[in-house]
Amino acid sequence: MAGAVKKKKKTKRVSYVPLILMMLPGLVYLAVNNYLPMFGITIAFKNLDFQKGILASEWCGLQNFEYLFKTKDAFIMIRNTLCYNLVFIFGGLVASLAIAVMMTEISKMKIARFIQPAICFPNMVSIIIVAYLVYAFLGSDGFVNNTILGGEGISWYRESKYWPFILTIVHFWKGAGYGAIIYIASISGIDKGLYEAAKLDGASKMQQVFKITLPIIKPMIILMLLMSIGRIFNSDFGLFLQVPMNSGVLYETTQTIDTYVYRALMERNDVSMSSAASVFQAVLGFMLVMASNLVVRKVDADSALF
Amino acid sequence: MNKKFNSETRFRCICLAILLLFTAICIAPFLLMFSASVTEEQALIRDGYKFWPETLSFDTYRYLWAKRETIFRAYMISVFVTLVGTVTNVIITSLFGYPLSRKDFKYRNVFAFLIFFTMLFNGGMTASYIIWTRTFHIKNTIWALLLPNYLMGGMNVLMVRNYYTASIPDSILEAARVDGASEMTIYTKILVPLSKPVMITIALFAGIAYWNDWTNGLYYISDSKLYSINVYLNNLMNNIQLLTQQSTLTEGANLAGMDLPSVGVRMAIAMIAVLPVMIIFPFIQGQLVKGVVIGGVKG
Repeated sequence: MAGAVKKKKKTKRVSYVPLILMMLPGLVYLAVNNYLPMFGITIAFKNLDFQKGILASEWCGLQNFEYLFKTKDAFIMIRNTLCYNLVFIFGGLVASLAIAVMMTEISKMKIARFIQPAICFPNMVSIIIVAYLVYAFLGSDGFVNNTILGGEGISWYRESKYWPFILTIVHFWKGAGYGAIIYIASISGIDKGLYEAAKLDGASKMQQVFKITLPIIKPMIILMLLMSIGRIFNSDFGLFLQVPMNSGVLYETTQTIDTYVYRALMERNDVSMSSAASVFQAVLGFMLVMASNLVVRKVDADSALF
Repeated sequence: MNKKFNSETRFRCICLAILLLFTAICIAPFLLMFSASVTEEQALIRDGYKFWPETLSFDTYRYLWAKRETIFRAYMISVFVTLVGTVTNVIITSLFGYPLSRKDFKYRNVFAFLIFFTMLFNGGMTASYIIWTRTFHIKNTIWALLLPNYLMGGMNVLMVRNYYTASIPDSILEAARVDGASEMTIYTKILVPLSKPVMITIALFAGIAYWNDWTNGLYYISDSKLYSINVYLNNLMNNIQLLTQQSTLTEGANLAGMDLPSVGVRMAIAMIAVLPVMIIFPFIQGQLVKGVVIGGVKG
């Protein structure tokens, strides 16, 4: 008895030092890569003077934000970010769900083993390559102008009105197959007996999809929706910068918050505008993630992030 | 009954047809790129891109071989960064995930929160850029391609932690500790061999992220000696874009004087940049799908 107590005490006294040492590389990385930049947010509230350094630069309150929101750029980039994301979120949901239902339908065929990787593949290549592919289609001697339009020729990279469609197509081409993976997994978890029963009752395939599949995976759909709504102020930087080839005449329809932050910082050396926009994005994004998580917890507590 | 059967078959056929069409759409651009890279230069300028090259020519690849100094240098940098980055990422991530899975580690929730918070909030790109360049001076060093963003991700750490919690029995760890094994021995001798599936998944995510990365190069690299293949392609595109813009402004600007690779060559470089992904992907995609499912359901 006494021995057991002693032994228990001995194993209980685990030294935390080796554990913390194991985490040390990760902790250092978090500090440098994630936490230091959080303090860097102060840059947005300062008149940054590199001679003095970040800490000694003078505070200027919300001046940077005031300047930012007086520009036309602010309206354009926020409008573009939100509108594209709305289309991407809801369009992506429909596309990925449709692909998932169809993939499940043909999952027993041998060819599914070829289709599945093929439709995920575009998501695996870098957006630079995608930009090259798009250029092969839309460049001045590209496939569309030369072969489809027969040399009539549209200067795609000079006309901003086409880009909402082009970027949406590229986005779905790249991501729809990959986005279906998660739904394919949840559909495969559904009890097959339900479909058998429905079939005996004479339900058509469409009825089975709308009356069985979708209601059962609804929690997953809501979860994915809310998670993407939490990221609605973020855009796919590469898609909006590289695919339109960083073309200035297309800003009207291709500028998003991420590309603005990049251009202000790297092309115009305007640290205050850039940091104001990036802090605006980070803070609003944070609030939206918190809000959407709150909603998720109400809908389905198990799926909430925290 | 017969009618029912028919309607089901019809539904299945429609699904198959749509998916095959989508598959073709997904693959076609890559075929076009390949075809352009083996089309004779004059034919490409005259007739534009075609799915089927009329006059076959491997001049582009010969040109790449002649230029191997710059292009293969970029290629090797990509290979180096991908290997080193991926290995480091897997080590740091799993070392971080293990203590978080230990139920007898009192502060595990504090550290879990530290990692979790980074998934919710970040300082924004501008702040990161200034910290990395002004405090750590990584501009135009190989560190710039390795360190920012990709070394350890919150999602992966939590995935590792969940894997350890769920599939490594406490009794094994307990027994090892009674035998006097140190934490490091437990990690290398027990955890690493037992957690191969999750390690491979993380390695795949990290490897693809490093291979495809161009943002770090865009922000932190201006020295052409340090271009990775994607950064190289990006700069090539920018230069061409700049020149075509200038040439339309000043009629007949002298484009010939610049040593710019032709359209076919550009497509050939893009081709060799996707090649590794194209070759490896069919083999890894099963593992990757599992990772997406685990990571996506519960971060």
